[in-house]
Formats: sequence, C-alpha cells, structure tokens
Amino acid sequence: MKLGCLLGFAVTTVLAAQGDLPQQAAAILKKSCVSCHGGGLKMSGLDLTSQDALVTGGSRGAAVVAGKPDSSLLYRLITHQEKPTMPPGSKLSDADLDTLRKWIASGPSLPAAQAAAAPAKPDLSRLEDRPITAEERNYWAFRPPVRREPPPLASNPVDAFLLQAFKAKGLTPSPRAGARTLIRRAYLDLTGLPPTPAEVEDFAQDPSPARWRAVIEKLLASPHYGERWGRHWLDLVRYADSGGFERDFDWPNAWRYRDYVVAAFNKDKPYDVFLREQLAGDEIDSRSNEAMTATGYLRLGLDNNIKNERTRLDELDDLVTTTSVGFLGLTVGCARCHNHKFDPIPQKDYYRMQAVFYSTKGIEHPLVTPEEVAKHKAETKRVRDLQKPLLDAKKEIEEPFRKKLFAERIAALPEYLQIAWKTPPEKRTEGQKLNAEQIEKTLVIKEKEILALLPAGLEKRHAELAAQIEALNQQLPKPYPTARAIAEPGREALPSHFLHRGALDAKGSVMPPGVITVAWNGEFEFPPAPPEAPSSWRRKAFAEWLTSPGNPLTARVMVNRIWQHHFGEGIVRTSSNFGKTGTPPSHPELLDWLATEFIARGWSIKAMHRLMMTSDAYQMASDDIEANLKHDPENRLFWRMPRQRLQAETLRDQILWAAGTLDLAVGGPAVFPHIDPALYQSSTGRTWPGKPDTDPSTWRRSLYVFMKRSIRYPLFEAFDQPDAVNSCDRRNRSTIAPQALLLMNNAFVILQAEKFAERLQKDAGPDPAKQVDLAWRLALSRPPDETELARSVAYLKSGDGTLAQFAQMIFNLNEFAYRQ
Amino acid sequence: MISRRQLLNKLGGGIAGLALADTLHRQGLAAARLSPLAAKQPHFPAKAKAVISIFCYGGISQIDSFDPKPELLKRQGEAMTGVGEVMVSQGHPGGLMPSPWPFKKYGQCGMDVSDLFPHVAQHADDLALIRSMHCISNDHGPALYQMNTGTILAGHPSVGSWVTYGLGTENENLPGYVVFTDYRGGPINGAPNWGAGYMPAAYQATPFRAQGDPIVDLKPPARRGDAAQKKWLELLGAMNEKHLARNPLDTELSARIYSYELAYKMQIHATEAIDISKETEATRKLYGLDDQPTEYFGRQALMARRLVERGVRFVQLYSGGGNFEPSWDAHFDLKGNHGQHAAEIDKPIAALIKDLKSRGLFDSTLIVFHSEFGRMPISQRMDGRDHNPDGFAVWLAGAGVKGGSIVGATDHYGYRAVENKKSVYDLHATILHLLGMDHEKLTYYFNGRDMRLTDVHGNLIKEVLA
Repeated sequence: MKLGCLLGFAVTTVLAAQGDLPQQAAAILKKSCVSCHGGGLKMSGLDLTSQDALVTGGSRGAAVVAGKPDSSLLYRLITHQEKPTMPPGSKLSDADLDTLRKWIASGPSLPAAQAAAAPAKPDLSRLEDRPITAEERNYWAFRPPVRREPPPLASNPVDAFLLQAFKAKGLTPSPRAGARTLIRRAYLDLTGLPPTPAEVEDFAQDPSPARWRAVIEKLLASPHYGERWGRHWLDLVRYADSGGFERDFDWPNAWRYRDYVVAAFNKDKPYDVFLREQLAGDEIDSRSNEAMTATGYLRLGLDNNIKNERTRLDELDDLVTTTSVGFLGLTVGCARCHNHKFDPIPQKDYYRMQAVFYSTKGIEHPLVTPEEVAKHKAETKRVRDLQKPLLDAKKEIEEPFRKKLFAERIAALPEYLQIAWKTPPEKRTEGQKLNAEQIEKTLVIKEKEILALLPAGLEKRHAELAAQIEALNQQLPKPYPTARAIAEPGREALPSHFLHRGALDAKGSVMPPGVITVAWNGEFEFPPAPPEAPSSWRRKAFAEWLTSPGNPLTARVMVNRIWQHHFGEGIVRTSSNFGKTGTPPSHPELLDWLATEFIARGWSIKAMHRLMMTSDAYQMASDDIEANLKHDPENRLFWRMPRQRLQAETLRDQILWAAGTLDLAVGGPAVFPHIDPALYQSSTGRTWPGKPDTDPSTWRRSLYVFMKRSIRYPLFEAFDQPDAVNSCDRRNRSTIAPQALLLMNNAFVILQAEKFAERLQKDAGPDPAKQVDLAWRLALSRPPDETELARSVAYLKSGDGTLAQFAQMIFNLNEFAYRQ
Repeated sequence: MISRRQLLNKLGGGIAGLALADTLHRQGLAAARLSPLAAKQPHFPAKAKAVISIFCYGGISQIDSFDPKPELLKRQGEAMTGVGEVMVSQGHPGGLMPSPWPFKKYGQCGMDVSDLFPHVAQHADDLALIRSMHCISNDHGPALYQMNTGTILAGHPSVGSWVTYGLGTENENLPGYVVFTDYRGGPINGAPNWGAGYMPAAYQATPFRAQGDPIVDLKPPARRGDAAQKKWLELLGAMNEKHLARNPLDTELSARIYSYELAYKMQIHATEAIDISKETEATRKLYGLDDQPTEYFGRQALMARRLVERGVRFVQLYSGGGNFEPSWDAHFDLKGNHGQHAAEIDKPIAALIKDLKSRGLFDSTLIVFHSEFGRMPISQRMDGRDHNPDGFAVWLAGAGVKGGSIVGATDHYGYRAVENKKSVYDLHATILHLLGMDHEKLTYYFNGRDMRLTDVHGNLIKEVLA
C-alpha cells in the first residue's frame, strides 16, 4: 500500500507538469480501478475506460456528476465517505484524490486513448489463489488425527480421557443415574420412544452392566433406531418433501431418500459407504436402486422455480455449503465471493468444489425394470394415438366460434391498440409491432366461452368427443415408482468458471475439480472417467477423498456429531464448524481417539454408540454438583449428563405413545395431519391435504409427517424443528408461550389426552390412584411419589377436572418434555 | 447481584400471580435468561419503538400511484427505447401504456400522488417518499424474500425477526411480532416471509386473525371453563415446581414454568388487544369499518394501532393474497385490479396516520409502505403491467422520519431508478437505524458467520431522517 501511494504520487506529479487533467485522471483510473471496472471485467456494470460508459455509470447509478465531486458516487467511494470503499482494502493517495476531485469539478472527460489501454481479458489468476502457510496447515483440525493410548484410569477409553481432564480441573464426576432414568435415557436417545413400564421395571430389578449392554443391543436392533438417527441426518442435509420457493412444489417421492437414510442407519451401513453413495451412487453402481436413491441427497436443496444461470449457481452454492458444513465441518460457502476471511480456504477451493457438482442434473430414476419402463411408454403412446383424431375433431368444431369471439374482443380494445392491430404488418411502427404481437399471443379465448355459443347439435357432438378423450385418459397406464436421483450429460464435465466476487459478469478461468487444499497433503488426483462412463466421475473421486483415512475432518466431524446427540453438546461445540471461528475441542485427544477408532471399526456408527453408551460418563446423573458448577458451569468437560429438551418430533411421538395410539409402521409415503387453514393461507400450488385429527392414519411417527417448506406443522415449528432450508447441526431450544398454548389448547393434543385417559381407564380400572400410577409409569417411566400421587388423586376426586384433563396435564409437565 | 438460587427462591410463587413476572422484570438479567423476548436497549437512543409494515403484495405500480410519468401519455403505444434491454417476466412486451389515473399535487411539499390514494395524499407532508428503489429479482418469491429478509433466498430471518431479536418486546403478554394476512389468502412463499430463518422460533411472527380468537390455539375449548383451567394450571404448576425443586439451578425449567404464566395472560391480553368493539363510532368510521371495501383492511389497521399501543414491536399487514387477481399482481386489467386494492387500503392507511397522531403514537411508530417490486411502463396482455424490479417506490412515515421528503427518481418512463438509487439493503439499514440499531452491529452467529440483515451491504438513506 505504501508503494502504491508512492507510485500514485509519482503519476500525479509527473502529469501535473503537463497540466492535462483528463490524462492524469485516466492514468489514476487505469492504475487503481480499471483492472476491475473496465475491459473484460466490468464489476457492478461499471466501465471506467470510455467517456460514454463513464456517464452511464454502473448498476449503482451514475459514477460521476459533472461539477459535483461530493455528489459523485465514484468520489464518495474512493474518499471512503460511503461503502463499499474503493479500491477494496486500500485508499488512493491524497494527491490522486485531489486530482480526481478537480477532474470531476471541471466536468470529467476521458481521452479517447483510454479505451485501448484497458486489458482485453480479465486476469484473475492473482485473485484465484492464496498461499497456505505451514502454520495454517498445522491448525488442529487440518492435521490427521493422532491416536494416543488412553490414560490407564478406566476400562472404557471414553472414561479414561474424561477422568484425566476431571483430575486436571479438580472436578468430581457425577454418580450413576438411577435405573429408571437410565433406561428412559437410552430408549429416547436410540429410538426416540420411551420404554414400556414393564421394560422399566425389568431393568430396575437388575441394572447391572451386562443388562445395560443387553438393553443397548436390543435398541440398536430396533427398526425405530434408524428413524431416530435418520432424523438427525435429515436435519443436517435439510431434507424436505417439497422444493420451496414461491410455488413450493411437492416432491411426492422424496420419502424414498428418507427411507434410504433410515435403512442405512438400521443396517449400520459403514459411514464411508453412506457418504460415497449419496455423493456418487450413480458413478458407483447405476443399476442399484439403493445407490441411485442415495443420490437424492444432491437434489434436496431448494428448487428455484426460475431456471437460469444465476439460480443454478445458487443451487450449487447451497449444495457446496451443505456438503462442506455437513460432511467436513467447514464453512466453504464463505469463500464464494472472496477467500475465506478466517480459515485458509481460498476462493479457488470453492470453485473447484463447485466444479465437482457442476454437471449434475436431476432425473427420476425408475424403480422398476427397463422392460416395464418400455411397456409403460408403448402403452402411453397407444392411448395418445387414439386421442389424436378426437382432439382434432373437437378443435375443428371450436375454431369458427373462437374467431368470432376474437374479433369481438379486438373491437373492445382502446383505439390505439385497434389501430396497431389493423395496420398491415409491414407498415407498423416498432410500438405497433409489439402491441400487435402482444394481442396475438395473449388474447386467449377460453373453451368455456366457446361452449356458451355452441348450438345444440354441435354442443352434443363436442361433449361426446370430450367424453371419449376423457375415457381414454382413464386407460393411460399408472406411473411407475421412481426415486429422485442425479445424472450427468456425459463423460465430459460441463465447464464451470471461477467468478470474481461471486458475480456472473466477472467470469475467470475454467475451474478443474478439486478438494480442500489445506485438508490434503499435496495435490489430489481426479482420475479421468473410463471411456464408456456416462458421467465425469468427479463426484466419485471427491467422495473417495472425503472418506479416505487421510482426510483429517470426515471421521472427526461424524464422531463429534454422535457424541453431541448423546451428551447434549459436542466435544467441538460448533459441530458444523471446525474452523477458526468455531470452538476448539474440549478433549482433543479423546476426539482423535474416537475418530481413529471409528475408522478402525469400519466406520460403524453402531460401534460408536456401544462405546459411548457403555461408558460411565454416559450413565451419569444430571443433578447439580455445586463445587463443579463453580469450575465448569457449562459442563464443558462433561462431568454430568445435561438435561435435554425433547425434539419436537419426539415430543409428539411420546404423546401418541403414551396415549397408546401411535402407529409404529416404518417407512412409506408421508402423511398429512390436520393444520388449521388460518395458518397456511393456501395459494396456487400451496395446499395441505390435511386429514382430521381423528384419522388414525395420521398417528404415525413424526418423521413421516410431510415436510412442506412453506407450510410447517405448527407443533414442530413452535418446538424448533429446523426449516429445512439450511443445514442444521444442533437445534435451537427456545422456550416460548406459544409452545404452552399449543400443548394446552391444540385439538390434536386434547384428542390424544382423551385417548390417554381411555387407556388409563381401561388398563388401570376405576381407582384414581391406579390411574395416576399408570399415567406416571407410561409417560415418565417411573411411579409417582407420595405427594404427586396424593395431589393428583385429590384433583381427580374433587371434580376439579376430568381424567382427560389430568392426562393432558401430564403432556405439559416439564419432566415429560425433557430427558435427563 | 443476587445469586440464581436466591432469585429462584424468590420466584416460588408458581402460576397463580404476577409475582414471578414482576420479580423477573426487576431483574433484567434473569428475565433475559427466562425469556428470549425480554426488552433490550437499542444501540443508540431513537424515537421509533414500533414498526407497522404495510405490504402491497403482488407489486404495486409506482407509475400509477406515487411516481407520475406524463411522458407515457405523450408516447402512448410507442416502443420503450433507449433504456437498455427490457426485461419482462412473462413475455410479449407491448408499447408504452399511460396511467389510467390522473395525478395531483399535495401538501407543502407538493408531492404528486395519483387518484388511487386521495386519502393518503392528504398526509403528503408526513411521508418520506423514495422513488428510486430497486431490487434483484423480478419474480415474486425471491423478491418477497428480499424485501422481507434481505436476501432473495429462503432461510433468513425477516426484518421483524431482526427487530424483535434486537429489541425484544415491550409487552410479553402479547407476541412481539404479529402478522395479518389478506382475507383472500397469504402471499406466496407462505410463512417464511415472516419466519425467523436460522434464529430461534421465539423471533418469528405470530399470525393474527382479524376475526374470532386472534391466535390459533389461544384458548381451551369452550366446554372447559376458566375456573377449570385455573385449577388445571395450579396442578401443573405444583408438579413442575416440585420437579424444579430437585433441579433448582436449571433456568430452562424455570423459563418453561414462566412460559405457562405468559400463555395464560396472553389469552386475556391478545383477545383484549384486538377487541375493537370498545372503539368509538368516530374511530370506526375513520378507518372505514362502516363501508364494505375498507372494512377488512380497516379492522386490521385499527388492530395494528391497538397492538402498537400495547407494546407490540412489529406488525405487518398484507394487502393482497394468493395469485394474480387477488393480489396487486396486475398482469391484466390494471384499472380493475389496482382500483379495487387501493380502494380497500387508502382510507384505512390515512386513518392510521391520523389516529396514531391524535394518540401521540406517531412519534414513536414507524410506518413502512412497500411492495416486493414495481410494475412496467409498457403494457402486458393489452391492459396490464408486468413486474419491474429496476424502479419502484416505497414510503416511510412516523417516528424519526422527515415528512415531505422525496428521494431519488426513475427515468422519464418510470422504468429504471436512475437518480440516487436505493437498494433494499439501504431501506433495511434505515429501518434499523430509526429503531436505534446499527445494521452493521446487529449480528447473529450462524454456521460460522456473524450474519446481518444487510449482509455486507446497506447505506443509510439519510435524506429521510428527520
């Protein structure tokens, strides 16, 4: 910058001697501005190389106002009176500023030669890259995990590492939680459903380590495990059943990806395979319906209703962002417009990663055999061929009436439009041409209007034809099932460009595919696809890099997520941001040990559950320990199990479960429970075919409630279900009055409370004490204590409220809404 | 400062009374911990305490309302030339089409306003009119997102969310941020228009109904009386207090107990807040409640005043809903469409300004009149106009606003903003500023970044500041 000032001074002084303001101004602009605002690269549409362009200005308006420097945008920005200050990151010398001030004041003009002086093509090489220092590479998250032997303090390595930290900080680990608390914790964590009273009592009789392990095994084998852990994954990949944006079209088969995820967790699909299938299932095995369905991941982002280059780039940005925060714990999306501000991620890395996905396009992958697809096509053609003559005949009847109506409508137009229409085409002015074409294209006569004019005989014939056409429609074959999947146009990837400042009008060189430079030692090779390959194989290579044991992030990020869902917070609390603005790991050695163990156990997620849940740490109580609170009030070292508010879905599931009405069927199309129409205000394309609360087909687990991006299920929205637009690593946990109103007054909750009451009546008999006891055991996994029992029985006996109201009170308890 | 334990001991009162809330309000810190909506101090002192956003959804035509272009009549039917590429959203552009409405000059400032808004025009000297607005998208969805959340993409908090996040609310017995939609339906995009995006649910708007109970699920079924509800809440409170006693330091559990008190009070306060039966006949008449076209919006405007009066921070009113005809989206029959919509809102908006003034609330309330974009000077489908993101008008009025100012200009057709151009970011920065917040300092940490309503943009529109 200092050098720049000196040079600037030199330019001004030398040319000042010549006394030629336009020459001086042009020289300053060329030196400091034209590399971005002129020639091939006109940032913000501004071109400072010609007189005409200078006056026109750019997208922010005129650059200069003759005679008024302080009203000229150019001068205001270079003097830093207004943002964005220019040039970016520096300031012109006072002498140069003074020259430009005088130049604008004198009525700015540029010498004609300036245009020729502008560079013909943008040279962006300087902007595309940044060197990565050894120090940056040495940042903990970019070094491969190092496996250190756990300290010899406990049999479970998790406990060994934690105990070491407790000792160092003088913390006392919490004692083991009570048996009923523990079994409820394990059930809610692994399946999102509470244990039955019998299961609770069974475990309470013998809460030995062996029985504890047996409980964990039973839950890991449950089909409901995948529903619970699949939901965590769906948060991360912002899964929804509709495309968002203004039309928010439904994706009626999106659930096939959801079911793929649930099944993957249930069968403990190795995490590396799980990632590779989602990124490149088509390139791994295009004949596998499972692998193809997995690529639905690449299509989960918002689907803009407007398709153009800009909206495509936004879709890709969403994909790059979600993939990088979700799988790598890196905010690569921040490098779309400039090098990452905090992490060593060059803008180049962003565009190389974009190049990996650039050629993808959505397809509907048939889940039936090619023969069935061919048969469907042939059958459709047969019906369409039969319809063709009928459609023609119908049109022939309509045509004369259409013409008549058209002429009437023309006669009703304003005079200047009628004149435009009547003027012979070759004599029309430019405006008349536009108006005549508009009339021709947009003056539409509807079939309804024609029908009103048809004489009886023709009307009958017309109706017959319409009926025959409709009858044939009924013969069209039913659509075959498909999955949302991905394909590429061919072996050659489409060229994608580096975009300076992320702007489409500032295209740089074509980008090759690449990985995150700082997270790999050396240059990662993207091998060419085999000759017959239908796609570029870029994603396959990227996925291989992502899941290679040498990748320092992938395993760490995933074990940290598993930890977070068990322990309330991650070892790295910012679980989708392992970069500099995230929080460092509280136990770096434990994190590394877990990451290496994860890979050593074949990327088995279930193995990680076993490891974590059999630790003493997982089984700790939630109670306060005052001495610990002084040293570690936020439980950063995991000296207790924090109390956790249930997720929205778990809360609803638990209500249905306690009421005994929950339909436990796994998988399949989504369901539409009732939503008050006042809350969604339907419009074109935005409808909610809600079924009544009393319809048992809606009493499925919450995972199966249709997730429409513009119409959120109120109970979920109030309890912080993420909006399925951004990747969500950790749900907000807000506590607000509307949540209370919902649980107090919502008709669904009231209905289920009635069902709960019926169940209590039926299973516990007429004795209020027995009813209260059962309610507590079903909803809270424990019997009531004496005061709770006495107070509840008194409520029921006094007639202050009905059994159903009592049952609903249970749904509102703090204890019901938390797991500890 | 007292310890949390001492505080919680003081709080032992349970559901029954106001004791808990009062104690909390004396203890600002604790209140903030218990409620994300507790009132907060702005960055610097400011006049505006509340915002009423009047959103003409569908795209109100600037050249037929607040930006007169006599050139259009002179050159009726001619092609629009010399303005660069003409971008239309739905094809088949026609020639220039004059406005069906004459303009007149109003007020000391001599502001030109069309016959669509004769009542609002009476307050010309109170309006700060910006005629040089522009936005990015000519498509309703993204443009609505931009006007409401700053970006053209979904997933970001709305202006009202940022405001309630930054300032909390003055009255926790009511939602801090309320939205009223048009009787014909909501705008496209749906609830994300007033959503909290990546922020907690506490900052999203609560949709209010203009008839019946204002909030869905506000009250228990009628068959359960109030006495029964009180008994029920007592039982719940007793159980929750007992649970809390075992975990006395957990503020989340205390906050949840507190939320039931608020919910109970909201039943009374929200119902009272929109109960316009007690308004005088004169007031009702002023808002046009006695006349069919103005009745619906008039009710909402009156309710907006009542809400702001009671400390609600942000109220958004939509005019227009659904697609095409029911909204301001006049692709055809501009005269019928804009004629009807303006007739519904002109008198109520003027009434709102007058009413706020007479109650001394105009100096603490900011009114924003806007749309997602404007409309084209050329015709579409013979008698309509297409979307126009390159030039449109918005106005501000009330707290901290310099009335009678006219900022910027479009070209001689009213197509593109050319003079003193103002972006949506600039408008948002200015709204926050009028509320005492610096748009560069109001941030929310998400996915590795300190997010802002104005992203990396935004310049104050100083010309509209009093």
